[in-house]
Amino acid sequence: MALPISYNWRNLFVRKLSTALTFTVVTVVVFVLAVLLSFAEGIRASLSSSGSRANILVLKPGSTAEGTSIILPEEYARLPQTPGVARGPDGRPLISRELYVQTSIPRRGPGGAPANVAVRGVEDTAFAVHDEVRLVEGRMFEPGALEVIVGRAARDRYRNLELGGEIPLGRLGHRTCRVVGVFEARGGAFESEIWAPLTLLFDAYARRFVSSAALRLEDPAAAQAAVAYVNGPAVNLEARLETDYYRELSAKTREIVVLTTILVGIMGVGAAFAVANTMYAAVDGRRREIAMLRTIGFPRGSIMAAFVVESLLICMAACAAGLGLSLLVNGVRQDFLSEATWTVLAYELRVTPRTLVAALATAGCVGLLGAMAPALRAARTGVIEALRKA
Amino acid sequence: MLRLAYLYRNLTRNPMRALLTCAAVALPITIYVLSMSVVDGVNRFLDNSARQLRLAVTHRASIINPLPAGYRAKIESLDPTRTRLLSVCGIDWIGGKIEGDPRPLSALGADHDTFIQTFPEYRLTPGEIAEWNRDRRAIIVGAAAARQFGWSVGDRITINPSLPPYQPMEFRVISTAPRAEDPLTLWFHRQYLVEARRQAGWEEERVGFYFIKCASQADLEHFRAAIDALFANTPDETRTQDEKAFMNEFITQQFNLPRNLTILAAVTVFVAVMAAANTMSMNFRDRLNELATLKAMGFRGTLVSAIIQAESLFLCTVGGLLGALGPYLAFNHTPLRDFTVPLIQQLDVRAATCGKAMLIAAGISVLAALWPAWLAARMNVVTALRNLE
Repeated sequence: MALPISYNWRNLFVRKLSTALTFTVVTVVVFVLAVLLSFAEGIRASLSSSGSRANILVLKPGSTAEGTSIILPEEYARLPQTPGVARGPDGRPLISRELYVQTSIPRRGPGGAPANVAVRGVEDTAFAVHDEVRLVEGRMFEPGALEVIVGRAARDRYRNLELGGEIPLGRLGHRTCRVVGVFEARGGAFESEIWAPLTLLFDAYARRFVSSAALRLEDPAAAQAAVAYVNGPAVNLEARLETDYYRELSAKTREIVVLTTILVGIMGVGAAFAVANTMYAAVDGRRREIAMLRTIGFPRGSIMAAFVVESLLICMAACAAGLGLSLLVNGVRQDFLSEATWTVLAYELRVTPRTLVAALATAGCVGLLGAMAPALRAARTGVIEALRKA
Repeated sequence: MLRLAYLYRNLTRNPMRALLTCAAVALPITIYVLSMSVVDGVNRFLDNSARQLRLAVTHRASIINPLPAGYRAKIESLDPTRTRLLSVCGIDWIGGKIEGDPRPLSALGADHDTFIQTFPEYRLTPGEIAEWNRDRRAIIVGAAAARQFGWSVGDRITINPSLPPYQPMEFRVISTAPRAEDPLTLWFHRQYLVEARRQAGWEEERVGFYFIKCASQADLEHFRAAIDALFANTPDETRTQDEKAFMNEFITQQFNLPRNLTILAAVTVFVAVMAAANTMSMNFRDRLNELATLKAMGFRGTLVSAIIQAESLFLCTVGGLLGALGPYLAFNHTPLRDFTVPLIQQLDVRAATCGKAMLIAAGISVLAALWPAWLAARMNVVTALRNLE
């Protein structure tokens, strides 16, 4: 026989101050957890939707990212022979030569510090290879004109990147380019970049080489053979799946998750102590009541369950409140400087189902751990003594 | 004396509650100490940068654009006597990795003839300086990097650069820089890199950026403007900042860690206040009749408040002590010492930070007891005694 839930509910309001303070403690813990995880989730969401499993990315052996890679024209010339490369309607292989440079642009908002934004020089084939990229505003750049298109995230986060805005590019910063279009890429990393015609960047940066090449494969299953070919003596460059490249970049999120786990773990244990304290007080304050319940036939188990339920009620309400508060940061744009590429990735803080599960688990653990010992004491209450004391 | 005895009795009559409160204060204080240690570490790093009176000269368009190698002579010509502008050191970043190890390095090539003067905080011994000047494959590895990779003086190491020449380069460790503020960076001869590049077919010699050591703060301000003016309207214009501003630009882009950790520390202190306030309000409720009796016997309201404050102070201070001592011992006297954190690499938990944490714990105790103490002072004895069950 279990005690009705309304018994627990009404008990919470007997000690309003204690309940409120405990509620606040757990709310803050859940809030901190959700906010910290939203950083990791945002980055993960952005990087995991970057790249395609049908693409392989070719870099110079030894370089760690596109920004530090140099592929010379004679090296590039060996790539079209790669087995399994898809061909476009005109019969040419779908290989995108790309030059990856960066420029310093201030963030939006007052006192925005400058950030290193990636600028990618591309040819027409880039849009066949990276087919997730599509224009959502304005138009495509015209070859030969000083025009660029920008990713949606970059436009939202950095100054002067709206349609019609002008940014200086080039080795000397003397090519003023106009933003003529805004593109989306399924929320991936490309959206933090500026894309310009390859010839424009060749000229502006006085470069005769590209940074990387992306190859579209006819069949993703053939990726292994293509990678082996490119890595082999015939080409002697370094290829990897595009998705693998971005997964490596998201290594940073693991650091955040580890840090979050440690910090929230410590805070959670602290919160469990606070909950235990409150529950002990609740048990001690209701000894007569518990003895009474035992006398009229409620078994020890129900008494124990009642206190656990009470603690869980506080914690779950706090969990909901903490998550609710964390929705305030949902969608806020942040960026971070990747240590591998030295360019920024703009992403949105995300409160995801994964965050929800983590928050529920944390609040549940805090509630359970905090209630265990007090509930045991309640269940062991000696009926005779408790009643005699009254 | 009697009052102390009373305090002691009060604390021990519900030991579980006292223990739980201490723990609930100790853990947030631990987080406070850890977060602030990181923040202090970053600030110490930046302060060292500021103290060194160095300027960083980069390309105006972007730091990735290299500068001409001839700029060093041009900058030096601004002060031919070398009394205000002490030295100019050209630097090139090659990143780098060790074969079969995913951890990235931060290796920099520097002009070997001016490195020692430009970076005196490395405090190399005369023997190490002689080695540095003698061997063009010499490399100085930061203390934390040396520990991570298990290097010691005299080791030969091979680094794969992330930039041209893209071919393995061999070095000989001549110092693990135990006294440097920057525990992570590796320094080697830039000339060696230039030669390696030339051998691999990269002809053009350019320099990533220049660091310039100035004699005084006034000279620093002077040359900051003078250098940019010198190269104005040339194909490669420069952007000159003091070293602190230069470093800070990287740090704020890394999640703005110092600011965010400070916010986190403040939030956890708030949690501790809530937890302690909870205990004090429960204590107050439990002892309502007792406190009323004290007042009925003639003790003043201020004394009754003081008893509550003292109890809170004791609980929070013990909690604070435990919370601060834990990380202090763990990060100074156990293997956790080698634990690496982002940005500063090594967590240096200092006594000063722990002391500050103790003060904060005391502050928590005052806040937590504020409401019950006020209630106790204002308590109406008659009503309180009448309410006795």
